[in-house]
Amino acid sequence: MSGTLVGNRIIGADAPVTVGWENIGKVEGGPVKQFIFTWFQPVFLLFFVAFFYYAPNSLAVASTALMMGIAFKALLLALEWINPRYESWKLTWKEFATDLFYVGLGFTVLRMLDAYIGDGVIVGAVQGWFAWESFSWFTAMPLLIQALAISMIFDFGQYWMHRGMHNWHPLWLTHAPHHYITQLNINKGAVGNPVELFLIGLGVGGFFDFLPRAFLIAGAIGATVGIYQHINTRFNTPAWWRYLFNTTEHHSVHHSQDYEATRSNYSGTWIIWDRMFGTCVDGEAELLGMENGRRMDIRETMHFPFSEGYKSIKARLQRPAAVGGQQQTEPAE
Amino acid sequence: MAAAGGQIYSMNAHVPFIDRIWRTRDSVQVAERLNADEAFARLDPLLQTSGTQYIVEGDTLTYSKENPAAQDRLATFTSGTLLLSEQEGGARLSYDLGSTALLLCFLAPLLFVGFGQLAVGLSTLEGPQTEDARKAGKKDKDEDAEVQLHWIDQMIGAPAPEQPDDKKKKEKEKEKEPKHSPTPAYVLAGIFAALYVVGRILEPWLIKRTFRNALTGALPSDH
Repeated sequence: MSGTLVGNRIIGADAPVTVGWENIGKVEGGPVKQFIFTWFQPVFLLFFVAFFYYAPNSLAVASTALMMGIAFKALLLALEWINPRYESWKLTWKEFATDLFYVGLGFTVLRMLDAYIGDGVIVGAVQGWFAWESFSWFTAMPLLIQALAISMIFDFGQYWMHRGMHNWHPLWLTHAPHHYITQLNINKGAVGNPVELFLIGLGVGGFFDFLPRAFLIAGAIGATVGIYQHINTRFNTPAWWRYLFNTTEHHSVHHSQDYEATRSNYSGTWIIWDRMFGTCVDGEAELLGMENGRRMDIRETMHFPFSEGYKSIKARLQRPAAVGGQQQTEPAE
Repeated sequence: MAAAGGQIYSMNAHVPFIDRIWRTRDSVQVAERLNADEAFARLDPLLQTSGTQYIVEGDTLTYSKENPAAQDRLATFTSGTLLLSEQEGGARLSYDLGSTALLLCFLAPLLFVGFGQLAVGLSTLEGPQTEDARKAGKKDKDEDAEVQLHWIDQMIGAPAPEQPDDKKKKEKEKEKEPKHSPTPAYVLAGIFAALYVVGRILEPWLIKRTFRNALTGALPSDH
């Protein structure tokens, strides 16, 4: 396989990746279907943002956002069934049950853990140590500007955490299980080792003071943009959307079996971070995963960072003294 | 005797009645006269997948799958025994299959009820949320400051933000709530219970259809 030159990298040398927008799949069907699957994403973004912008205070609360998020996911599950991107990513009962287990961990154990060592606690502690206050002047800005700032600041942090996971072995060990997913479905974002899910959820937004409504609008942007990273639905995504935002196409490249391709498209919502830092690859891929698509089960996912970490440390300690003094490069992850 | 792969393990422990949780026993009748070799040859594509071991002894095929791929047609039933009996005017494939996934899904509600109990336990241990605890790290000086929307937001009609008095009322109500709510865990326990019921009905139906299609040559090709 020869691959395609993107910048100074060859993408698709190990496994098939479609590079560029010219050759990616299109929605098949009549004009109504074409219309729906072209405008679905922008319309729902607009609807969610408008809802949280105008909702009365009694409705503009986290519980409403949670219920709307769940209902939206149910709708997206239906879309996966109606207009799948790939038959080979078809959601089965077993895959759904497995994905739901990880979603469940996020809503229970991880949430409890977050209350003790999450970003809120860390930010509070840092502010306490340095006698810092929040940047309260942010609350005087227009709501949509605040919401965009929250979304972009959080995603900027997520971009570097994610990029770090692909470039530093200890962090990679926590992230690797997520790269064993072999298909994209709406709940696959939750699949991974809990340590990684905890790390990727850390943000620095707490350093800034925003209005609660701005957080809800930012959440609406995440819920109606970032959510499409893991979805098995074919959209005719508008060009402006895929220039600004991460899409399932971008994220399928990131999850492909091609090593170089996985080192791209790190952002969660704003693909412009990748464009800015030279890691964006426009395109799509169908063959996903690691080790030729070996599926990792829940048990291995839970112990992988620890068991592999132990092996790595052991290997490093047992390395002959002659080699020990030399600088070692990270293995290809 | 024909065999492929390594060691075959089984989920087919015989525990009367209880094993229905993870086992399915049924049969498929086909009109075509097939002997065991012919029938198992037609089922072969289902077994030529990664992590699959199987052994054929006369009219019986025993298989197991270790962590099968997501799209493996036997992904839910990871072990089983298939028996082919030739009959007048056709053949019957009887099967007895076991599913770790169904068993784990059956047990998942217990795990999530456990998480719910953990939330209750931690909340009891920590006592009610005090104002001090929730505001750790925050300064009090802005407490009574009125919050105003930017003039652009006022112009296009965004509702005014809550003022300090309303906030304080809400926070007082919040103080009565436990630090960790067990509700999500209990809801998830319920969802897994429902999912088990769906799987226990759907998956045996799908596997029966798969076997029938394989034996009649109507199995769609994989992508």
